This record gives sequence, C-alpha cells and structure tokens, in this order.
Amino acid sequence: MSLGIKFILKSVAGLVLLLLTGSLLAGCDAVKERPKMRIGYMNCNSEAETRARFGPLNEYLSQKLGIDFELVSVDTQEFAERFHKGEFDFTHTNSLLYIILREQKNLRLLATEKRGQYGPRTAGTLISRKDSGIKTLADLKGKYLLFGPQLAPSGFLAQYDLMLQAGINPEQDLAYYGIPRGSFKHEKVVYGVYFGKYDVAAAPALDLELMIRDGKITADDFNIIAQSEIFPYCTFGAARQIPDELAEKFRMLLLDLTPESTVTYQSETVKVLDSAWIDGFAQLEDADYDPIRRMAKNANMPPYQEF
Amino acid sequence: MRRFLTDRHIWLVIVSGGILGTFGVLLAFWGNPEHSGICISCFLENTAGALGLHPDTRMQYLRPELPGFILGAMASALVGKEFKTRGGKAPIFRFMSGFFLLVGCTVFIGCPIKLFLRLTAGDMTVWSGLLGLLVGIGIATRGLTSGVYIDRGETQRGGGGVLVPLLFLFFLLLLFVRPAFILFSERGSAAQHAPVLISLLVALLIGVLAQRSRFCITGALRDLFLIGFRAPLFWGLVAMVLAAVVTSLLTGSFRLGLYGQPGAHFDMFWSFAGMLLVGWMSVLIGGCPFRQLVKAGEGDTDAGMVVLGMLTGAGIVQSWNISATAAGVSFYGQVAVLVGLIFVLTTSLLFRERATA
Amino acid sequence: MFRDFFDRAHWFALGGLVIALFYLLFFSPVDGSTVRKQDKRLELVLQEKARIAFLLETYAPVEELAAAGNRAAALLKLEELERDFPGEAHASILRGSLLLEQGAIAEGIAAYVLGVRQNGDYIDARSLLGRHREITALVEAELPLIKVRVEKSPNSRTWNEALNNIYYLQSRLAGGCE
Repeated sequence: MSLGIKFILKSVAGLVLLLLTGSLLAGCDAVKERPKMRIGYMNCNSEAETRARFGPLNEYLSQKLGIDFELVSVDTQEFAERFHKGEFDFTHTNSLLYIILREQKNLRLLATEKRGQYGPRTAGTLISRKDSGIKTLADLKGKYLLFGPQLAPSGFLAQYDLMLQAGINPEQDLAYYGIPRGSFKHEKVVYGVYFGKYDVAAAPALDLELMIRDGKITADDFNIIAQSEIFPYCTFGAARQIPDELAEKFRMLLLDLTPESTVTYQSETVKVLDSAWIDGFAQLEDADYDPIRRMAKNANMPPYQEF
Repeated sequence: MRRFLTDRHIWLVIVSGGILGTFGVLLAFWGNPEHSGICISCFLENTAGALGLHPDTRMQYLRPELPGFILGAMASALVGKEFKTRGGKAPIFRFMSGFFLLVGCTVFIGCPIKLFLRLTAGDMTVWSGLLGLLVGIGIATRGLTSGVYIDRGETQRGGGGVLVPLLFLFFLLLLFVRPAFILFSERGSAAQHAPVLISLLVALLIGVLAQRSRFCITGALRDLFLIGFRAPLFWGLVAMVLAAVVTSLLTGSFRLGLYGQPGAHFDMFWSFAGMLLVGWMSVLIGGCPFRQLVKAGEGDTDAGMVVLGMLTGAGIVQSWNISATAAGVSFYGQVAVLVGLIFVLTTSLLFRERATA
Repeated sequence: MFRDFFDRAHWFALGGLVIALFYLLFFSPVDGSTVRKQDKRLELVLQEKARIAFLLETYAPVEELAAAGNRAAALLKLEELERDFPGEAHASILRGSLLLEQGAIAEGIAAYVLGVRQNGDYIDARSLLGRHREITALVEAELPLIKVRVEKSPNSRTWNEALNNIYYLQSRLAGGCE
C-alpha cells in the first residue's frame, strides 16, 4: 500500500472518529438540555426590583426541579390577559389576581408567601395623621383620600370594601380620591398623609409594619381608622395543564424553604428567602381566599365585576 | 415457687418496689411536679439551681428527697452494720459517668424511675426511652459477659464514705435554715413541691428500704437479662409498676395518651439515645442514679463520685442548654448525648479484660 | 485516737474550732461585708420585680390600644417596640393574643409558643406575667378545630405545624419538670 493511500485511510479514520465523538458529545448535550417553562411574577414596584427579588428564587426552583424557568416580570394590569394567552406555566401574584385567574382559568393554588406579623395573610388599613382629628369611618365624608394601585387587595380593594360596609360610597362621599403614579405606590400613600397632602390613605398593614420596622415612621404618627379582616398575601399558582406531580414538587420546594436555603445566583451564593423579602411559604386552601372573593363582589371588582 | 414465696429478700424487694411506686405517684399528688414525684435527675437539677450552679430561676429548690434517700440508706447501713467506706477505683471515670448519666436523663426528661412513673401515668411518649434503656442495659450486660469490668472499690481508710452523706445533710440544713445565698424558685416546676417533712420522711423510708433490698431499676432489668424471671429485683420493678398504676388510677393522675403529657417531648430518637446512654452507663457503674445515691449513703465513695458528677452535670445541663424541654431536644443536648455514647463506648474498650494469648 | 500528745492536741483544736463555728453561726453579729455577699436572693427578687414592672410599663401602650379594640394599631406599636427590644417574650405573648383575636390562628399560636419557650413564666398560674388561663382557653378552643383541619388536609404543613404547636402548649399546661 502506497504512503498516499495509507495517509488517505488514516485521514478518513481520523475524521470518522472525530465525527463520532462530536455526535456523541452533541447527544450528551441533547440529553442534558432541560425543559423550559415560564413563571410570571407580578411587578410590585418595577421590573428591575422584581428581577432582583425573585431571580434567586427562580434559579433555586430551576436547579431543584431541573427545569429552566424563565422569570417574566409582568405588569399587574396585563397579568390576566397574558396568562389567558398561555404565556406562563406558573404565576406569582397578589391574592386578588389569584382569584381572578382561579375563577377564569382554574389556576391551581400552590403556596402563599409569608411576610410580616400575619404570616401568609395581610390586611388593608385606612390611616390619618394623628393630629388630623379623623378617627372613624364616619369622619371620612368630604375628605381627600389616596388609594394604592387599583388591583392591590390591601391597598385598594380592602379599604374600598371597608368604606362600603360603613355606608360610605367612595365615588360620591369623598371630596376626592386618587392613586399615585409610578412605583412605590404603597409608601407614597403613607407619605401623602404623613406630609399632610391627603387626609386619609389606604395603606397595606404590611407596608406600615415594614416602614415602622425600618424606622421611617412610628406607630404614633397615625390613627388607624379601620382595618379590614385578614386575607391571604401573595400567592404562587400553577396553570391547569401543569402535571400534578410537577405542581406538587414545586409546592413542596416552596414550603421546604428555610431562611438558611441558599442558591448560587450570578456567581454568588445568596439566601433565597432573604433576597425575595419573604419569611417563608404556607399552605393555605382555596377557601381561605373567600374574604377576597367577598370583598371583590361587594366592591364590584374583577372577577365579579358587573357593568 | 415455694422458695420464691418464702424468700424474705424477695418480699423485701417487692415491698420496696411497691413503696417506691406508690409514693412516686403520691409525692406528685401532694405537690411535686406532675409525673415527677420521684425523679433523681430533676431533683439534682433543682438542687444545683438552689446552690447557684445554674441560672434558671424556675429550677431552684433544695429537694429534701435527695438527702432523705442518702441519709435513710446511711441509717439503714449503720444499723445493719453495712456502712463501710469503700471505693477508690477510677474516680474520675465515675465522676464523668455521673455527668453523662445526667445528660442522658435530662435529654429524655427524667431518670429511670421517672420513666416508669411517666409510663404508669399513661404517658405514651416514653416508649422510645424505655426501648433505649433496655437496649443500653442489653449492650452493657453483653459487655459484662465479654469482660468489660470496672474494678470494685476496696475498703478505705479515713472515713471518706461519710462525706457525701454529710454534704447532703448540709443541704438539708440549708433547706431549713434558708440562708440568703441559697435560691428558691417562686414559680416554675421547682416551686412545686410536696410538704417538706412529708417528702423527707417518705425519702428516708425509701432510702432504708432501698438499702436493705438493693433495689435498682437498671439492676432489675440487667438481672432479667442475666438470670431471667428468677431475678428478685425484677419482681421489685413489677411491684413498683403495679403500685404506681393503681395509685395513679386512684389519685386520678392516670391519663393515657401521646399528647399533652407533662414534661414530655416527641424527639423519639433522642429519647431513645438518652436512655440508651443511661442504661448502658448505669450497668457499667453498678446502678441507676437512684442506686448511686443509696450506695453513697452506704459509704461507697465510688458512688459518691458519681453523685458529685451528677450534681455537677445538673448545673451544666441547665447552664449549657443541654436539657430537653417539651419543645424537644436542643442541638447541644444532641451533641452531649453523642459525646456521652462515645465516652461509654471508649470506656467499654478500655475497661475490657482480655484473655492473654 | 487519744494515744499521745499529737492526738490530744488535734482533738483539742477540733473542739475549739467547733465551738468557734457554733458561735460564729449563731451568736456573732453579721457585718456589712457579709450582708453584701449574702443578698443574692433579694437581688434576684428585685431583678424579677423590676423586670415585670418594666415590661408592664413598656408594653402598656400596646395593652391600652388592644383594650380599646384597636388591635391593628396595637400590633404596629408592638412592631415599633421590637426595634428597641427584639425577641422579647412579652411581645410574643401580646402578639399571639392580638393575632388570635384577628383570626390569624396558626400565627397566633406560634407566637404564644415562642413566648412560652422564651420564658416559662407565661404558662405559670402563679407568675405575675402568667397567662395560664388564657392559654388554657386557647388550647381548649383551638385544639379540636385544628384537629379537624388536619384531618381534612392531612398533608397541610401549615396546619400540622399549628397542631404540633398547640400540643406543645398543652404539654406545658400539664406541668411536669422543665
């Protein structure tokens, strides 16, 4: 056999070996490739904040479940519509959005976030400045009131319902009510009253608690005119098409999270709950959300809105 | 059978067990903490607290039962001409054994006597502890038959055997004199106690009977493993259990159940491990915590070292958060039990007499 | 024992020392230094009384708001006090009571458990801080309800935790050694 033929044979064999190795490695990659899913996270203040808060949790879930979860930051107003289009497999929303999606698309309840003294629940409060003389719901007539975002259960719905229950129609009996623009609406309403621009504010109990904890305000700065009954806080849900087994694993991962749970996120080891400003997760039942349903019906709000 | 029925010693053991069971329940009925009519480890924790050895202000009281047991045993030994200063073998080992006995007991929440008092009052959380005690005694008994042997002390000069009884007599005096440096809880379990004179008289009686009969909980179970139902001490234990059940029923303190039991927790594994340590250690050193008190009253300075180790341990388990509560066993308690088991395993290896080849 | 001078000297000295000790214990006046060293029990009692007085005074605004029915404001006041005195058992007990009144059952029970674990005085009937009757009522009222919830949802971690917590309170109420 001439040297030329030997060289050609060796080259062909080498090429075959190279191709075989390459295809095997590619096969490995194909095996390693993880399924992709999307989790819609309702924006509280801004997209950047949502990503910073929930990025580590999202990564933790991805690593533990072997699924590439894409974190989708969603504006509150757009959430239901985008969910209806099938954009998300899992959801993280406030409790009002949860019941909207539950009623409309049979969203499955997974776990409820724990934060603050009420744990997995929260409440809405109506506050006034201590020196304002506004102490009861009856005093609200003819006053200037600042609400939180319209789809916020503890910043709008609960207080709207409180007033209706007390025989005050916010649309007619108040001198004016408004909703602040931009981000950090809940803090803005508190400061709106604190600095005397508004008479009354619809503040979430949790935000008051956090602002007191941070020393931004004191408990003695305000009159708590009224507080709603407590109802569930932010909630993780799963779309109906998600297999039961996966939904259950997702739920258990959330419930098993402790303050010491960590994840490697963007080359750093971070505490999952700490990053997300969450104390933990609780397992509530759909019936626990009935107070929200009652409030929404009373206030003529979605998903029970009638025109 | 006839020999069994006519043996005075067996009847003495049975009466001792019966009295222990009866008064174990009655002392709680008369004011001691629930299920703790007699509990050597609890009493030692209270005593250590009263002496200022730990800071828990709810666990400070000079329990008169402890001096009662020791002085009753001493009186009985003196009358029976059995009081003899003896000991001197492996004193530091015995001191440490006393310490770890307390660790095991407090992780379980109670000494072996209290284990049976809890059981006979219907507390179903004790089963894991009982199993641990039996396994511990079983392992230690196997060790005995394999050559694990700690030398018994010899008769000593100098009358040192009287020192531990004198120390506890001093504690008794402190209880009556109540100097300002002795602490007494005004709340918590240490504030619960039967009338002092009743506690003392009962303890003296039990001390006398225990000295005459050699009654011991772990000894009874050890003998059961070694010689079966012929073991007199076992029948003493049976009598104690029966008497405690009957008295619990009569006083209305029997409540069968797993939940809501006084001074109990659900860390079953650690209850098992704690009592495993107690059972194992007790057989190695020749008796449960109660028996160590009685032997110390007879002038046994080795037992006296165990008692001092237990008293020291009683202070440390409270100060270092080793003792368990109804909430469960603390991290430090878990570590201490494991260290105790390492200690007892090492002891078994080092004290084993091996046949020379 | 009385054989020679050595023995007799020892017995003599022993007798003298016993008499001296007896005199010291029962007849000698107590000087100032002894008083300072022996007042440990008094110090502890004072500490305890001062502690109780401090707690009652510090948390009085919370109690007043709660008594006026303004539980939401009382909880916020507690949060404010938490900044100065974090982890205080008294705050946990008050929080437990306020949360229960607002229907946060599992969280209320958990707060009581935390308080009792931090300071057993709260379960004591004879302590000035004791909430024995209140906790007894809580256990009697909530135990059957929580059992039902656990039976309905046996895998609910939240209610199983609440059940364990209430069993803890039940066990502490039953007494026993701590």
